[in-house]
Amino acid sequence: MISLVLLIGIYFGIYALLALGQNLITGMTGLLSLCQAAFMAIGAYTTAIILTSHHPLPLAELIVIVVFMGSLFGAMIGLPTLRLKGDYLAIASLGFGEIVKNVLLNADKFTGGPMGITHIPSVQLGRILISPYDKSVYLIFVWGFVGVILWGLFRLQRSRFGRALEAIREDEVAASSLGLNTTLYKVVAFMIGAAISALAGMLWAIYNGSVIPQSFDFMLSIMVLCMVVLGGLGNYFAALVGTMVIVIISELPRLLGFSVLIPAQLDQILFGLILVILMIYRPEGLLGRPVSKRNS
Amino acid sequence: MLQHLLNGFTVGSIYALVALGYTLVYGVLKFINFAHGDVLMIGTYIALIVFNFLRTFIEPSIAFIIAILAGMASSALLAVLIERVAYRPLRHAPRLAPLLSAIGLSVILSNTAALIFGTKSQRFEMPFNNTPIHWGNLVVTPYQGLILLTSLTMMVLLHFFIKMTRTGKAMRAVSEKPMVAQLMGIDTDRIIRFTFILGSALGAVAGILVSLDYKVYPTLGSLIGLKAFIAAVIGGIGNISGAMLGGILLGVLETYGVAVLGIPVGYKDSVAFVLLIIILLWRPSGILGSNKREKI
Amino acid sequence: MIRKLTYSFFCIFLVLLLVSCKKQEVTLNIGFSGPMTGDSANYGKLMSQAVQIAIDERNELGGIGGQIKLRMIAEDDEGKVDKANLAIEKLINVDHIVGLVGAVFSSCSLAIAPKCEQAQVVMISPSSTHKLLTSLGKYIFRNVLSDESQAKVFAKYVKEKLGYSKIAILNLKNDYSQGLADDFKTQFESDGGKIIAMESGLQGDKDFKTQLTKLWAKQPEAIFIPGYVNEMAQILQQAKDMGIKTHWLAADGFSNPEIFDLAGDLANGVIFSNSPDESSLGNAKKKEFEAKYLKRFKQKPDSFSLNSYDAANILMDAMQFVYNEASPDDQRSANLNPAKIRNYVADLEDYQGVSGKITFLSNRDVLKNVGIFQADHKEFVQQGIYLIKDGQLLEVVE
Repeated sequence: MISLVLLIGIYFGIYALLALGQNLITGMTGLLSLCQAAFMAIGAYTTAIILTSHHPLPLAELIVIVVFMGSLFGAMIGLPTLRLKGDYLAIASLGFGEIVKNVLLNADKFTGGPMGITHIPSVQLGRILISPYDKSVYLIFVWGFVGVILWGLFRLQRSRFGRALEAIREDEVAASSLGLNTTLYKVVAFMIGAAISALAGMLWAIYNGSVIPQSFDFMLSIMVLCMVVLGGLGNYFAALVGTMVIVIISELPRLLGFSVLIPAQLDQILFGLILVILMIYRPEGLLGRPVSKRNS
Repeated sequence: MLQHLLNGFTVGSIYALVALGYTLVYGVLKFINFAHGDVLMIGTYIALIVFNFLRTFIEPSIAFIIAILAGMASSALLAVLIERVAYRPLRHAPRLAPLLSAIGLSVILSNTAALIFGTKSQRFEMPFNNTPIHWGNLVVTPYQGLILLTSLTMMVLLHFFIKMTRTGKAMRAVSEKPMVAQLMGIDTDRIIRFTFILGSALGAVAGILVSLDYKVYPTLGSLIGLKAFIAAVIGGIGNISGAMLGGILLGVLETYGVAVLGIPVGYKDSVAFVLLIIILLWRPSGILGSNKREKI
Repeated sequence: MIRKLTYSFFCIFLVLLLVSCKKQEVTLNIGFSGPMTGDSANYGKLMSQAVQIAIDERNELGGIGGQIKLRMIAEDDEGKVDKANLAIEKLINVDHIVGLVGAVFSSCSLAIAPKCEQAQVVMISPSSTHKLLTSLGKYIFRNVLSDESQAKVFAKYVKEKLGYSKIAILNLKNDYSQGLADDFKTQFESDGGKIIAMESGLQGDKDFKTQLTKLWAKQPEAIFIPGYVNEMAQILQQAKDMGIKTHWLAADGFSNPEIFDLAGDLANGVIFSNSPDESSLGNAKKKEFEAKYLKRFKQKPDSFSLNSYDAANILMDAMQFVYNEASPDDQRSANLNPAKIRNYVADLEDYQGVSGKITFLSNRDVLKNVGIFQADHKEFVQQGIYLIKDGQLLEVVE
């Protein structure tokens, strides 16, 4: 039982990272992007390729490369698509996500194609071995990342940069008329969000020990969006709460031990119902955005 | 060459029919009805059941027509119900709330279908003899003919309906500015309900036509849903001619990309997405979309 | 609102702890992990039903040692890696399973195998054909024909018995189909045959006309379509619509009787390789099992279900064997030594299962004969049972 709870904690942490990235992009900057899964895939595959190569790099260098790759792809996807608005951006980014998955599936030489990459070894943090077999250590490792990133994001929010993002979210035209280079800010926000998701991908790859393209489909991106919206856009703690709620309601039957007693479909139906009901009663999300007067 | 064009047209007109459902709803409510694909899946199941039941008594072609009507009716009914329960309370909520509600519904519908109708794919017998007709180099199946004929008729009827009738005019008014429309004495609730009926009935027809070839299964909706949605965006979401154009363009280019341009089949889906991104970069609101600024 | 929510979650958590602490009668649990919802739900359903039959049969005989009842715990992994991890975690740590039948998809099996290895739970996958799976640990077995052994025999059969030498392949981009296609190609070409064209599609694709046009242009004598029924039915249908008349070859994915619903008469004449029906060798278990399955679930089992049934039975035999050797104390508390269970399975030789005679090799892959079947009006008719010995194709007769 404890072990199952620990595992859910680990997934909670990994999804929380994705949700934090999404919140920076969607909640803070107001860009509806749907490709967290793709950024995660970049991080996971980068990790897999590096760790299974002949000269695996130490953890610190791995993290640097994963962050670099994540932000690189963030920029690649962000630069062309950020001039799009609202739903158009959502669909274009969703398209990019699918393209990334498609390339992973077909570039057999680097990614193993449909076979994926297996036998990803554990990593060393100083003297401590970070391996999926020691869940409490892994849990701390994952939440260490969540903590550091959360701290960074809070610092960011209070900085000039954070205020600029808020200005863009509230009124892009006004922001740019005040001399803000809105494109630059948006792309940077996108890159940071992407890098955070790539880190989540790294944690995922090390935990699973193998990666395969099918894990990173667009439903994952949509789930992440659900987490952020459910918690309440534009608030990092809300993103964590939203993630927790989604993780718990999707694992509830398993935790309570009735997953064996009822048809599996009922679990899913329950999940959908909770989602609909929560939205009807708390449309602005569980913790809503502090100042939310944007209707109509 | 001509053959590929024909095949592309057939696939494309299915996309177009489903895309219309998305675009109609988007037009009046400005939100992505994620559950549209699943609503049409339910309609298809009902049609299949009616067809299999009636087939033993009467001429298959008549049974087929009745089945289509039954499918349309049940989809429409379901859509009205969903609109009332899950969307109307959210009409003035933040923009992403109805999207989440729709995602929840999509999960509920597809799993309910799996529970009731089983997880097996079921075959929808062709109600007619589907021997291909050779026409010089061109091979046309009666099935393709049926798809082209039905979808073209539907689209032409819809076009005139929107342009000519009072209700059509009211729909346009609501989609332009709901508030003003209401002030002008239009019952917006009724119009919105009607829009859902129209969109899902068209969707059910598309679902039935597609399932003659693709079979009927609980996740049928999400498969055509995504592509159709992309088609709607390519054409300019909210725009009815745009949905038709986008659907057909997507169908034709997908077929051409693989067959004529020699793109490896593994990358077939990427064709659609690359196309999507290129078009959006060129016309940020889709080909026929109006270029007005909007935000989340 | 928030406080209420927090409270309710807290309460739920308490309830859950209580539920999990409740004392239960001693049972031995066998886990099953596979997709029960989503696109591939049908595979998980068919296979878990087979495991259920195996367990019920054993319980009717009194369970292990005539004392301890068995229970199947089936968890839904949705065919996704993260859910599979959660499922195995629950199965191992909450249900304390003694053995696992599953997972269904290779991606999931690869992810959960290390966890089974660490927890010393014998895992027998009835359907994951990924090459590297059994290399992940000493407790990881599979009783599905590996892509390699199946494709080798089939390639030789096609070359020698059917006499084709120009074959085209249309495979799917997933590990199962790709593995079969590659291994078939290697074997076929080393025997002097020619693969004149190879095309691929994606799992879940509905339109294969483009690939078929390309393949047909090269005029192959036959087309090999390793894959799953949904895609194969599409291919057969579309080939017919396009006027393609050729011979069709497939692999064990074709053995799902659903193909007759999906493809109707078009399935007739397709030749494919599968686990053998060894009733001619004095093993009538397959027929019995199929009849029983059909009667109980109103469906016919596919070949992966046969494997699942065997896997469950092998696990239970191992448990019985270890139980007999255990001390009375351990017997009472159903405490079975996992290493011994594992050794029993690893040493298994010539087990007569519903999917043929099973021997586990030292790499924990299965050694089975390969049956060659032809679909004919809602029946799969076996053409012969084959194996490769010293590089030669041999037909197995009594």
